[in-house]
Amino acid sequence: MTMTEAPPSEAAESSAAPLPAVGGLYDWLTTSDHKAIGRIWLRFGALSLLFFSVIGVLVSFERLDADAIDVFGGVNSYFQMWSLYRFGIVLMVAIPLFVGLATIIAPMQVGSTNIAFPRAALAAAWGYVLGSLITVISVLAGGGWGALDGVSGDEADAIRLTLLGTGMVMVSIILGTICIVTTVVSLRTSGMGLTKVPLFAWSMLVAGSVWVLTLPVAIANIAVLYIDLSGGAGLFVGAPNPSFDLYAQLAWILDQPAVYAAAVPVLGIAGSVIPVVAKGRQVSHEAMMILLGLAGLLAIGGWSQPFFGDERDTLVYIAFGVAAMVPVLASLGGNSATLVSGEAPVGIPPAHMIGVLGSMLLFLAATAAGALRVIDPLDLIGTTADTGVLNLVAVAAILGSLGGWWFWAPKTDGRLFSGIQGLGAMILLLLGGVLLGATDVIAGFVDTPDVLLASADDSLGDAMIVLSMIGSIVVLLGVLGALGAITLAYVKPGEAGDDPWGGHTLEWATATPPPAGNFAEPPARVRSEAPLLDETPGDEGGES
Amino acid sequence: MTATTTQLAAPAIRRPRTVLVGTMFASGAALMAYFGVLAVYVSERAAARDAGEEWFPEGVIELGPSGWIFWTLVLAAFTVQWAVQAIRNDDRPNAYIALALTGMFGAAVFNQLWFIINDTGFALAGTQGQFLFFVMTGTYIVFLIGAVVFLALTTMRALFGQFGPSQDDGVAAAAMFWHAVSIMYWVTWIAIFVTK
Repeated sequence: MTMTEAPPSEAAESSAAPLPAVGGLYDWLTTSDHKAIGRIWLRFGALSLLFFSVIGVLVSFERLDADAIDVFGGVNSYFQMWSLYRFGIVLMVAIPLFVGLATIIAPMQVGSTNIAFPRAALAAAWGYVLGSLITVISVLAGGGWGALDGVSGDEADAIRLTLLGTGMVMVSIILGTICIVTTVVSLRTSGMGLTKVPLFAWSMLVAGSVWVLTLPVAIANIAVLYIDLSGGAGLFVGAPNPSFDLYAQLAWILDQPAVYAAAVPVLGIAGSVIPVVAKGRQVSHEAMMILLGLAGLLAIGGWSQPFFGDERDTLVYIAFGVAAMVPVLASLGGNSATLVSGEAPVGIPPAHMIGVLGSMLLFLAATAAGALRVIDPLDLIGTTADTGVLNLVAVAAILGSLGGWWFWAPKTDGRLFSGIQGLGAMILLLLGGVLLGATDVIAGFVDTPDVLLASADDSLGDAMIVLSMIGSIVVLLGVLGALGAITLAYVKPGEAGDDPWGGHTLEWATATPPPAGNFAEPPARVRSEAPLLDETPGDEGGES
Repeated sequence: MTATTTQLAAPAIRRPRTVLVGTMFASGAALMAYFGVLAVYVSERAAARDAGEEWFPEGVIELGPSGWIFWTLVLAAFTVQWAVQAIRNDDRPNAYIALALTGMFGAAVFNQLWFIINDTGFALAGTQGQFLFFVMTGTYIVFLIGAVVFLALTTMRALFGQFGPSQDDGVAAAAMFWHAVSIMYWVTWIAIFVTK
């Protein structure tokens, strides 16, 4: 808040002064530098990614034969881990990775010296860490989002703690997102009208707005369920034995259309990366912005929650389900046109290009599967197709954020990550994502139930579940590869240079790593969405 | 922290004001959370009525006290805007009076709501209607307290000499959140107290 109160002349004089180095715990707890705050999100998000990938493999393994295999020690424990994976991979991995990347990159993309409300952004980052830990620990203590087989009093306490932790993660995401979207709206540099905002920053404005308006509805659900469980008569959750109903009341955020919002920034990252790879401008920047807006609009899903009855057979639900494919497909087409019209990369393709293209393909597959899922005669709702769509969206978001992280590594971490290792990890994630998601969708066609407590009654369904488990292992290998490459970059740091890719947007005008205040001097007046491609800065054109 | 705060200065350009924009998004989130609870209330009430069940016993919820809250909040909407305008005109005595009056109206709303809750004699673990009535009023009180605290902090900053004709963001933001909380009640009044 203080930032807008400093007079411009004072700001210009002090913009290059260094912030205290972020080293000890005290610095991490008190920093107001958006790069350090973003790194909290990214690093804890990466750890969460590893944790939930392992949980995903274990859940897939038990799902092979629920009668014979007992990894977690009982039906309730299996259900708790099954639901933990689903909430975790979306709320504690996919969205936080985007928030972390945007906390670092979005202010620089719009030419700002810092994020809006840096202390609120810091509180959000630590709130996310704390909320995630509370959630995971409470689930391990017997909590979770309900149980299938009755619970004890202690477990009911743990369930309340899980609800609290989940709510805390959501509040943190909302707070962190408000800081990002406010930066994009209010702290753009001179000449950068909304139509000239780089696509990643724009995608965060769109997706962030959807999160800010959707997650509070889920928090409201949590509040109702928490109070009902604590002092109410158990009207909604089946207290004193919270049942599957509790999970079902909240699962709409993991279901289409709401879950698509977790992957919308993928389109923005691709829109920022592809023109740089192609060494040319985006074919139609404004059209891409409109498509991103449409993708966000079609991901608003608070209305489809079970509290309002079963909305999943209504015309609106079907229309949202089918239409969601359109902006993703058109956006992929636009990026492909940009790639074709520019210079094709020679030799081994860069990891970030494969990452963002793969993430778009997975997102397209998710929306296509979602479009099939809403067609009533196919009867896919309630089958493993639900999990298939969720996994496709989640891996698309993870692959997209990792692709973006690879691209912006000089600015996020002050070093380049290994291209070869990154490429291997991205390919593994893409293949794993397809295996993990598509096989569950196919298994849905033979009516394989989503919460598997017994083997599927169909050989095709059984085969698909085996393939899905192999997919979860391939995803885990991809995650290990990516995190290994990031760790290695810290062990053996290489020279990154200020602009190793020939970037088009203002973050590439900063030094590597970016100093406190980002820019040594205020950026020149922006004239287009790719300011670094404009040869001579001037005052003509552009909105203010 | 002086060195840090000066480094964080915004570029020298007039953009929609940061505090105001941030509060706009926060108010949107607050409204969605509140209307999320209200939507649960309305849909469950509709389901109960379709099933032929009684939602509230006849005559338990009276329109009078809730109507007073409605009109108190209408008055407060004017006083909080009076504060914004006074700050813009650098008329600090008027701004202090307007902020104090708005805070007082907030306390009056809280008092009246507390009376209504006690007057109904509902129990949290009672019927679905009673439970959701508690959840609705409780959630509203949380947001009302939030708005009063925001207003109190703004008043204190104004008393310490902050804000002025070229810098009314803080007061305008507090007013925006106040209006959002007023809207919550006005919709609730129609959905719960008028249509019962």
